[in-house]
This record gives sequence, structure tokens and C-alpha cells, in this order.
Amino acid sequence: MATKSNKPVDVFGATLTRRQFVKTGGMLAVGISMVGTAPLKGDTPKATIAKNSLDPALPSSWIEIHPDNTVLIRTGKNDFGQGTVFTAYRQIVAEELSMPFEAITTVVSGDTDRTPDGGGSFDFLGRGTPNLRKVAAYTYQALLDLASKKLGAEKDKLSVKDGVVSANGKSISYGDLIKGQELNLTIPVRGDLTNIIGLSVEGNPPMKPVSEYTVIGKSFKNSVIASKVAARETWVTDVHLPGMVHGRVVHPKTLGSTLVSAGKLDKARFPNSQVIVKGNLVGVVAPTEWEAIQAALQVADGTRWTDWKGLPGNTKLYEHLRNDADWKSTPVMKSGATKGDVGPVLASAHRKLSATYQMSYMKHAPIGPTMAVGDVKADGMVHVHTHNQNPQELRGEIAKMLGTSIDHVIVHIYPGPGHYGRSNGGNAGAEDEAVILSQAVGKPVRVQWMRADDMQWSTQSPVSFSDVELAVDDQGKLAAYQIDHFMPPMQDDRPVGAVLAGLPTMPAPDVHGDFITSTANNISDDWLYAEAPHVIERGHGTFQVGQKASPIAVGLRDHSMRTPVQFQQNYPRELAISEAAALAGVDAIQFRINNTREERAIGVLKAVREASGWDTRPSPRPDAVSVGSTPVRGRGVSLMLRDGTYWACVCHIAVTPSTGAIAVEKCALAVDPGIVINPMQLKRQVEGGAMMGISIALLEEVTFDESGITQDDWVSYPILTMADIPEIKVELIHNPKVGAYGGGSEAANALAAPAIAAAFHDATGKAIRRLPMKPAYVQAVLRT
Amino acid sequence: MATITVNGARREVQAPGDTPLLYVLRNDLQLTGPQFGCGLAQCGACSVLIDGKEVRSCLTALSDVAPNQEITTLEGLPARWAKHKGLSAEEAKSTLHPVQQAWIEEQTPQCGFCQNGMMIKATELLESNPNPTLKQIKEAYTTSGVSPNLCRCGTYTAIIEAVQRAATLMAKGR
Repeated sequence: MATKSNKPVDVFGATLTRRQFVKTGGMLAVGISMVGTAPLKGDTPKATIAKNSLDPALPSSWIEIHPDNTVLIRTGKNDFGQGTVFTAYRQIVAEELSMPFEAITTVVSGDTDRTPDGGGSFDFLGRGTPNLRKVAAYTYQALLDLASKKLGAEKDKLSVKDGVVSANGKSISYGDLIKGQELNLTIPVRGDLTNIIGLSVEGNPPMKPVSEYTVIGKSFKNSVIASKVAARETWVTDVHLPGMVHGRVVHPKTLGSTLVSAGKLDKARFPNSQVIVKGNLVGVVAPTEWEAIQAALQVADGTRWTDWKGLPGNTKLYEHLRNDADWKSTPVMKSGATKGDVGPVLASAHRKLSATYQMSYMKHAPIGPTMAVGDVKADGMVHVHTHNQNPQELRGEIAKMLGTSIDHVIVHIYPGPGHYGRSNGGNAGAEDEAVILSQAVGKPVRVQWMRADDMQWSTQSPVSFSDVELAVDDQGKLAAYQIDHFMPPMQDDRPVGAVLAGLPTMPAPDVHGDFITSTANNISDDWLYAEAPHVIERGHGTFQVGQKASPIAVGLRDHSMRTPVQFQQNYPRELAISEAAALAGVDAIQFRINNTREERAIGVLKAVREASGWDTRPSPRPDAVSVGSTPVRGRGVSLMLRDGTYWACVCHIAVTPSTGAIAVEKCALAVDPGIVINPMQLKRQVEGGAMMGISIALLEEVTFDESGITQDDWVSYPILTMADIPEIKVELIHNPKVGAYGGGSEAANALAAPAIAAAFHDATGKAIRRLPMKPAYVQAVLRT
Repeated sequence: MATITVNGARREVQAPGDTPLLYVLRNDLQLTGPQFGCGLAQCGACSVLIDGKEVRSCLTALSDVAPNQEITTLEGLPARWAKHKGLSAEEAKSTLHPVQQAWIEEQTPQCGFCQNGMMIKATELLESNPNPTLKQIKEAYTTSGVSPNLCRCGTYTAIIEAVQRAATLMAKGR
């Protein structure tokens, strides 16, 4: 053994110790220790580790290096289709360890008893340094320390290739280096395991120079795709526990109804079914799925609810928001971009724009409705099997609901239908109901929402509107810009089954909520037009529509959805900037270039101009037409900075004035994330996001009357089909000098809407300022 | 009690005749390739082939399927291809259907929940039209069935590229 001493070794702030010699096997387990003052959440006392958690104070397991030189990695984030944990995470760890991609043989993600860090499954690349990158960098340094002793050479004389360290003509693999020993590397971590962010690895271990990358930048395949395609994957929908029964929930008649009486079960037809009532939650369980569905329908028929009419209805929504909503209780937020004195410039300008932009409520609309299995054991242990973006936060929510500690809750994670942010605060919909029903019947219960439940009882992305005042000067530049964003909060993480059952939950979003449960409307869209001398950006918040009026505190519950808040703020800004360019008589791409100082923004604008075949000229086009049955064509552009990535998008569209139909014919995107980790995966993410964005721009709007959501299927809430997709082009700009990885799976969905609306103005000469751009609305705009 | 033929094997099932085929496949026969998406034949996540035609299993009653009709699920695609190509049982075990192979090579799925139906639809299309045009692919996924096949993640471009690759793979006989 080379390591003769038990003296801890300092590794850039982390601590390497040898706990013991072991006779066989051996493993380098990279653990974490808590620093700072943030305690674990819930009933767990500070510094006491919850049972059924990986112990963050003791060496545990972010990364295991095995004697055969293979590696296992663990992450609390899990896959929603981005593939990041199976591709980019493997590449990042392999790179920092100087190992081949294939050496990372196992990825453990999500399960609350088998992963260390928690947090929502978003921002996977952590602004360039996700937890696993730092952990891998610490681990690499520890391995070099071990090798230095073993090979009798200074650290800086060591060379590493494919997990083998060499010096002085001698070599040793990582596996051999740790064989026979159990070594602990303790690294600093802080945060809250069960909140939306989870734990973060601290410190600044040296990272591999980008110039030495060999694994990052290559298009490795996502391993889970093969197992899904070959029908070998265990999806959440496939979970089948011994003794499990099937459950369906009879949700209330309206978003404010209380239960008068639950329907009686027809025991002749459904002899093995059972009705469970807890507060306003009515559930039906049965041994088979088909019986559960039919029995729930029969019980629903006989269930009586109070009536409630507390919503404005979608036809009066904007009027309600403008005139009746309370924007005064929530403090107004301002952005850091605010500067100068907008008022006098606007007052004296002769080329100015004053406009309001509106964006609808929309559904996350997963292709499969939410589904979970709850299993409350006689000994008080609670297991939840689900597809969820934040299993540790769900664990906390279930513990709170049951009045127990997180020690007694384990959340198991499986692949499922993506739901684009809906559960990043811990619940997708069915989990708490499955637990409540399981507790009631003493068996595992599988609760599957039907399509109508998912349309009408899930959260949605909130409505928003923005007032813009701007002016352009005689040199064709932005002289003054003022925007006021208005939006209800979008992070209601209360499990709805718990709310209905009258069980404890976190509070609904409120004025005095914390950073995530507050009604405050923060400015989330990075300002990119620094040339403008006078700028004001303000965010105004209010309460969720109907929630306070609802006797069951439900109403329209909102939740973040892909590119949350920034989409709602970037759409009005970018459309207004295109209108400003038209006002100035300057080409819309050139206008953006003229008004920004950011090199990377200019880079994506030029790249998308080239890729899209953009014809440089002011909008509207000289022969713009707003009548007739002949399609008229136009093009528009949009720009965004999100999570360290610069995006530009051009859409070419055809509008048929007589029908109001808009067809997106071409869509080009330029993306500069800094370092491109995996070109193939990023391209697929961008393409998918762009399609979702076109769907949102043209089709998606939640409709509701005074009582609840009136859509219950894919006919009443249509999404884009293959018939209506454009030709798509994605330009990835690998920009290694940035030195970090920007995010790739969000943002793409937000770019199409402002580009399409600007293209509409280009084609027709008419400004269109509300989403979605459905034919009837388009026709109305063209008649003005 | 009913008898059906699934992936080449005759299976006895106890479920009542009005049970949608989807639940019989998933819960009684553990064939979990088809997924529950809407229960309304509006999305295609639950698709299977019945005698080579794409059918929504969520709205197909067990009693509507005759014992001699051939049901093929995602799990049965490799054997369907092996039979078509006359591969040995041993070869068949290590073979994926070219459609599945193309879906992997093109890295088509995002969340993948709809892709069962997308691959079933591709198989139906390519068995009758080995070299479809872009227009024909779009028609297959939007107007040929009882509803369009829906993908919320927006993988339509990747699906088209995978169908085209599958056509090439099938032409080569792999």
C-alpha cells in the first residue's frame, strides 16, 4: 500500500482520508459534507441526516470508481426527454476524470434514497458547473494525489489518459489505484435537500482546460432511447406492486365546488370496488383498471357538488386582469437594466409606439396524463412511484401532508411522459392522491388521471400581458423603452389531492411568500439592447385567478412551464423590438445589431440571418397585403439570452387573409451555448422545442367559463401535428472561449411566437399582439 | 374468457369482453409497449397493428378482436421483421425491426411516451409503401388514421428522418 498515513489530505478545500484497508474490492466513494448554515428541511434537526437519504455528512456516493475502472454516477435530477443525465452528464464526468465516455457505465437518477442532491430537473448544466462536474473535478485531484504517492512522482509530472495515470515510465489505472482501499473524499455542499434548488456543491476545484477536451463535443447516443425504443424500459406506467389496486379520482364539478354527497357504488356491477371519501376528495379503487374506470364513472354520476361561479371566463379574462385584479398588494419589481429617464424622451419623441401584448394560459399537456403508485405500509413507511422532476421536494410535500418526517418517505423515479416544468416543485398531480387512497385501503394504489383530469385539474402556465411604450430616434436607434409586465404567480406547488382532502400543504403563492412562492413578478428576460439610453422594466404581480374566491382554494392554479416567466416577458419585448425596427425604417435584424453591445448576440443574429436566407430590408414588405385569398409571405426574428445561451430565430410564414390561417413554412435557429457538449442531442432538443413553440404560438389557449376549464381532450385543446411543421434548420455555434456550457433544452419553445408575429406584420402590415394566433383572431386583426 | 393472437402466440385472457385491448395487453399480458395517452383514440400512444393495420387499442374492445387476427405490439416488431426476412430464431433474438433501429440511430425520442405509436405507424406505412415521399409520411401521421399521431415534445422532424432511414435500412434488408 502506498498510502501509509491516515493523515487527511487537503484537495482544494475538499478532504481526502483513508478510512480503512479492505481485503478485496475497494472503491473510491466521493461524499459530501455540509457547510454553511442552511439546515435540512422538515422535521429533521440540523446536522441530523434523514433516514433513507444518502448521508451528506459522510462519504457517500456521487461518483463510484470501481476496481475494473468503471464509474457509477448519481444525480437527483432525472430525465424528461432532454437526455442530459445520460449524455452530457456522462461526458462531463468522463472529461473531468480523463476517462472514456464508455467508462461511465451506470447513471442513477432521481430516487430519493439513492441520489445525493435533490433539486428540480431544470438548469441541468448549472450555468456551466453542474454539481457532478465539480464532484468529478475534486475526485480527479484526489486520484492524482493517490497516484503521486503510488508512482513516486509529483502531481504535476503525472499524465492521465483513459483512466490510467503514468509517470516515470510506470502506469496505474484508477481501478488499481483504489483497489484494496476504501477512501473518502469529503467535499463541501450547501443548500436545502427538499426545496426547488436542492443541494449545491461548493468550492472551486481546478477544472480541465477546455482546450484539452476529448469527450465533450461529440455526439454520443442517449442510452435510454435504445431501451425505450426496444420496449425494454420500465416506465412509471409499468409499475405493478403485489396487491396493487387501481384508483381513479372523481374530481369536483368546478374549481370551487365542495362535496355534498358522494355517489353510491353499484355493488351488483362493481362488487370488488370501493369508494373513498376524504374531505372533498372522492376516490374509487378496484382490482382491475377497467373496473376502476367504469366504477368511477358510475360514482361520478351520483356524486353531488355545490355550484361555483368565481372565474371571469376566458372571453373576459384580459378585462378582468386589467380592471379587477389586485396589482397593488404585491411589490413592483424592477430590473437591473433600468437607467436614464424614459418619461421626457417618450413625451417629446415623434416616432413612438404604445402597445399591449397578451399571452394566454396554456397547458403543459403531457402526452400521457399524470400517474403514480402510492404505497403506505403498515409500519408507516410511504413509497411513491412516479415520474417527477423534483423527487426530494415531493418527498417533503408527502411528509407534510401526512404529518410525518421525510425519514418515512421514499420517492422512486421512472421514465414517463414529459411535462415541461409542471413538477419541478415536486408534484405532477397524481402522487398525493395515490398516497391518500393507499393509506385508506392499506394497499398500494395506482392512480391514473384520465385525459380530462389532466386538462382540468392540473396546473397551467399563467396568462400575462405587458404594456410597452417606446421611441426610436432619427438615427434609427432605440431612444427609450418602457415595459410593464403583468402576471399571476406560476409556482403553486400545493398537491391538489391534499388540498381537496383538507390535509396540510405548503401555502399558496402569496405576497409574503418566499422566493419561489411569492406573487412577485421578477424580471427574468435579460436585457440585450444596452445601446438604448433610457430603459424601464417593471414586473407587477397578483394572485392566481379565482384561487382566493374558491371555497376549496383552487381556482386556476398555475405552474412554471418551459422557459417560465422569461417566455412571458421575452415575447412582448421581442415583438415590440421588431415593431420598433419597422417604426425606425430599419431591417429587424440590423436594428437589433445596432442596439446591442453583446458580441454573442450579434453572432447568433448574423448566423440566423445567413441560415434563414433572410432578405435585409425594413418591415412591412413593400407589397404587404391584408386582404384576399392569396397567401402573403413574411419573415420575422427573435432574440433571447437564457441560462448562458444566446438564441436567435427566424420564421418565414404564409398568411391567407381570407381564412386567417397562418402556416409557418421555415424556421431557422442559431444557438450559441458556449461549449456544445453533444451536438446531436442539442440539435434534437432545439428542434423539439421549436415545434412546441410553434404549437403554442398558433394553437394553444386554455378556455374556461365561470366555473372551470372547458377543455377535456386533444380536440378541444389541439397541439401541432406533423402536417403543419415547417422546414427546420438549426445552427449550433460552438464557442469554446466562453468556457462554460449554456442550457439547451429550454428557450427554444419561446422563440417562435415573437418571430411569427413579426413575420405577420411583415406580410400584412398589421400588428398582431396576442397569442395564440388562431384564424378567427387573425381575421379580426386583419379587419382593423 | 377470450382468445387472441398477440405477437405470434395465442393467449387466453380472463378480462370481460368490453375491456379495451390496451388494458388487456398492459395489465393481463404485460405487453407494456402501448401506452395510455388519452383513452379517446386522439393521440396514438396506444397503437398496435391488427393484421398489419394501425389500430388504437384504447378504444378497441377485447371482444372486437377475433382469435385469428394478428395483433402486433412494439414488443413484437423484431419478430415481425425476422419472419418477413426469414431469419432464424437465433438471428431474430438479436435483431431489432429496422424501424426501431432507425429510431435509435436518429435519436428520435425526447420523452418517448408517444413513440410506440410513431413506430407502429411507421411499420404500417413502410410495409405498404417502402419508399414514401415526405408528403406521404406526413399524411400517414396526420390523416391516415382515426386521428393524427401527437408528439408533445415536438419530435416530428426526427420522426420523418427516422422513417426515411428505416426505409433505407429495410431496402438494404439490413
